[in-house]
Amino acid sequence: MTFFRFDIDTRSRMAGRFIGRVRRELLKAIMEEKSGGLTQQELARRLETRRSDINRQLSGEAEITLRSLADLAWALDREVTVELRRAEGTAGQNIAPTTSTIGYQPVRIIAPKTPNG
Amino acid sequence: MPTIADLADSGAIVKIDVDLAPRDQPLRLLYGTPQFIAWLRDVLDGAQPSRQLGHTSITEQIDDLFYSFLSGEQLIFTKQFRVVRAEENAVWELKTPDIRIFGWFMAKDCFVAVFGNWADTIKDHDLYRGYRIAIRRLRRKLGIDATLCVKGVAPDDVLSV
Repeated sequence: MTFFRFDIDTRSRMAGRFIGRVRRELLKAIMEEKSGGLTQQELARRLETRRSDINRQLSGEAEITLRSLADLAWALDREVTVELRRAEGTAGQNIAPTTSTIGYQPVRIIAPKTPNG
Repeated sequence: MPTIADLADSGAIVKIDVDLAPRDQPLRLLYGTPQFIAWLRDVLDGAQPSRQLGHTSITEQIDDLFYSFLSGEQLIFTKQFRVVRAEENAVWELKTPDIRIFGWFMAKDCFVAVFGNWADTIKDHDLYRGYRIAIRRLRRKLGIDATLCVKGVAPDDVLSV
């Protein structure tokens, strides 16, 4: 069975996944609060901003600055936890940094050629 | 009646992978048709939409989407994925700010991507109906429309996390 690995360089991967994770955490918190009755209109009112600006940040169309992250957390009555951990190996873990064949280079792929491709 | 393994062995679908983080294990399965894989290759070769909306790059958006799907993270319904239309076509859409990916779930937590395109292009040319029809036609051609296709339209029908 062939497979296709969507492989981008480590730096881009870390940035994209970190930014994505922050957005998902915010969306999850907003959805939880929504079930308790908080509307995005009310969220915008608390932050004295426009709902469309919040939407653009949550959809990934606008950057979420540290200030806006802190503000959103405040408006949602949440705490932000930040930790920079040293990457340490443990038994049984994936070893992406050594299995990846690319470093800080333009993207390329690792995938076997198929008869069609 | 082909199985998922039969489809993969015949090359009708190709398993898609990304590097997972050290402590992650794959909790879902992602496949693509050869046509979709060709589109991914174009993206990796630098294809870009005429107007980019997201503030991360196209490849970063796709990597993050595939990563969150495969590692079993909770996907946000309607923001990251949604059923295209609550009818018998059973076609689902995965989303990033600039990308839309259309396909179907062969089983719970097992998605086949068939079409990828820029979000703007899809909206401008209203490609939703064409994609729905083409995906259903493909399932029929593969002989799996009644067997390897989740018909439910609720998030819990297709994802277990």
